[in-house]
Amino acid sequence: MAARSIWNGTVTFGLVNVPVKLFTATDNKSVSFSEVHARDGAKIEHRRICPKEEKEVPYDEVVKGYEVSDGKFIVLEKDEVKAAAGDRGKVVALEEFVDAAAVDPVYFDRSYYVGAGDDKDAYALLHEALRKSGRAGIGRFTFHDREYLVALRAHGDVMALHTLRFADEVVGGDELEIGKGGRKPSSQEVDMAGKLVDSLHEDFDPEAYEDTYREAVLDLIKRKGKGEEIDLAEQEEPEHGDDLAAALEASLGAGR
Amino acid sequence: MARTLWSGSLSFGLVNVPVQLVTANRDLDYHFRQIHEKDQVPIEQRRYCSAEDVEVTWEEVAHAHDLDGKQVVVTDEELASVQPRKTRTIDIEAFVDLADVDPLYFDHAYWLVPAGESEGTLRAYRLLVEAMGKTDRAALGRFVMRTKEYLALVRVRDGALALTTMRFADEVRPTKAVPSGGKKPTKKQVDSAVAVIEELSTEWDPERYDDCYRARLKKVIDAKRKRRKIEVPEPRKQPSPAEDLMEALERTLEEVRSR
Repeated sequence: MAARSIWNGTVTFGLVNVPVKLFTATDNKSVSFSEVHARDGAKIEHRRICPKEEKEVPYDEVVKGYEVSDGKFIVLEKDEVKAAAGDRGKVVALEEFVDAAAVDPVYFDRSYYVGAGDDKDAYALLHEALRKSGRAGIGRFTFHDREYLVALRAHGDVMALHTLRFADEVVGGDELEIGKGGRKPSSQEVDMAGKLVDSLHEDFDPEAYEDTYREAVLDLIKRKGKGEEIDLAEQEEPEHGDDLAAALEASLGAGR
Repeated sequence: MARTLWSGSLSFGLVNVPVQLVTANRDLDYHFRQIHEKDQVPIEQRRYCSAEDVEVTWEEVAHAHDLDGKQVVVTDEELASVQPRKTRTIDIEAFVDLADVDPLYFDHAYWLVPAGESEGTLRAYRLLVEAMGKTDRAALGRFVMRTKEYLALVRVRDGALALTTMRFADEVRPTKAVPSGGKKPTKKQVDSAVAVIEELSTEWDPERYDDCYRARLKKVIDAKRKRRKIEVPEPRKQPSPAEDLMEALERTLEEVRSR
C-alpha cells in the first residue's frame, strides 16, 4: 500500500521540474504516557484560560504575541505570521550542490522521504544524477508557513530530504570550556587507545541495536497492569580508573 | 556555557572519562505566546480533570500508558527501577566508520566535555580525542537520559567530543511504500544532469546560508511594532513539468555554463 504524503510540490534544478511527494521517514517509538488525575484516573485536559476573565478561550480568539518587554506583547494575526513564510510556495529550488558526505552530522535536523509525483521520468533522472555524483542538492523549502534550508540526496531507490540547521544555530567547539591543565597523554597511551579503537571496529548495522529500555518500560507496564508489586532497585555508579595506561592495557587484554 | 543536561562517564574498555553533556544547538527562533485577542492578555494553560471538571494541580497528576484500552499508571520511581544498571555511563560498544552511518539516523547534537578539571579526567578525555581523531571512526554507545534510552554516536569535532543521539532501526521507516522513479533515464540524460550538478557544485560551507525566515519574521514583528501594514506575499505558481526533459537539461547546462 502506498503511504500518505504530507506535502506535494516541485523540486527544480535549472529548467528541470520534478514533481515530488513528501513522506514521513522517522517515528519516535518511545513509550508514551498521558496525564491522568491521580485520584480518579480520569484524563487531564489542557484548557486555554484567559486569567483576566477566568474563562476558557476558544482557538479562534487566540493570536500570537511576541514579548518585547516584560508583559508587553506585539500581537501578530495568523496571516501576518504567514508573511514571514515568503513567496516560495511549493517549490524547492536546488540552487547548488555539495558533497553529500561533507555535511557534518550536527547540521541535520528533520528527515523526510521524497517520492515521485506525476512526472516519474524526471524523478528517475534527478535520483540517478544525485546517486551517481554522490552530491546533495541544497535549497529552501517552505513547510507549515516556515522556511527551511534543506539537503536533498539519493537514498536507495528514493530520495531523502533533510532540514538543516543554520551555522549560527550550531555551538562551535571553540565555545566550550575545556580545562587546559594536566599533561598530554603519552604517545604510548595514544597508540594503545588506537589499538583498542581498531579492535572494536565493526560495520555499522543499525539492526544490531535495540531500544532495550523501551522494552523494559513496556514490560514494567504489563506487570503493573497485572497488579504486580514493582521492586524499586538501587542504581550503581561506575568507578573511575585512575591509572590510564594500566586501564588501557587491561582493556586490550580483555578484548583479545 | 550551556547548561549540563546529563553527567556521567564515557566508558571505553576499562577507562572511564567523567563527562558532561551540553547541547550543540543554539535556539535563535522567535518564540510566541498565545494571547487572548479580545483583551491582549497571555493565555494560561491549565489542567482540568475531565471527569470532575475541576482544575488539577501538578502534584495531582499521574502518568498513564494505554495498554490495549487499559490505563496503567506508572510512577517515576517505577520507571527509574527499570533503567539499565549503569545508567550514568555511556558504554562504548563499537567503533564504526562515520561515512557508513546514514544521516536518517541522526537525531540531536550535543557536546561531551570533561567533568571538572582534574588531571586524570582531562588526560583521559584528550586521549580519546587523539585516538579517535586519527581515524574517521565514531564510537557507538548507549546511555539513559531522563526517561529514554539513547543510542549515541561519539566522534571528534573541533578538537572535542561531539555526541549525536541516533534513532533506532525500527524508528526509521522502510522506503518500500514511497513511490520511486519511472523509466531508467538514458546515459545522455544522466551525463547532462550530472554535468549540471557539477557546474553548480561548491564546497559545503554552512556560513553561506542565512535563516531568511528568521529575518523576515523579525521584519514582520518590527513592522507591526511601528504599526505598519504587513503585506502577505502571494505564493509563486507551481512550475509544470518540462515537455522535453533532454531539451530542458541542455538549456540548463548552457545557462549554468554561461554564468
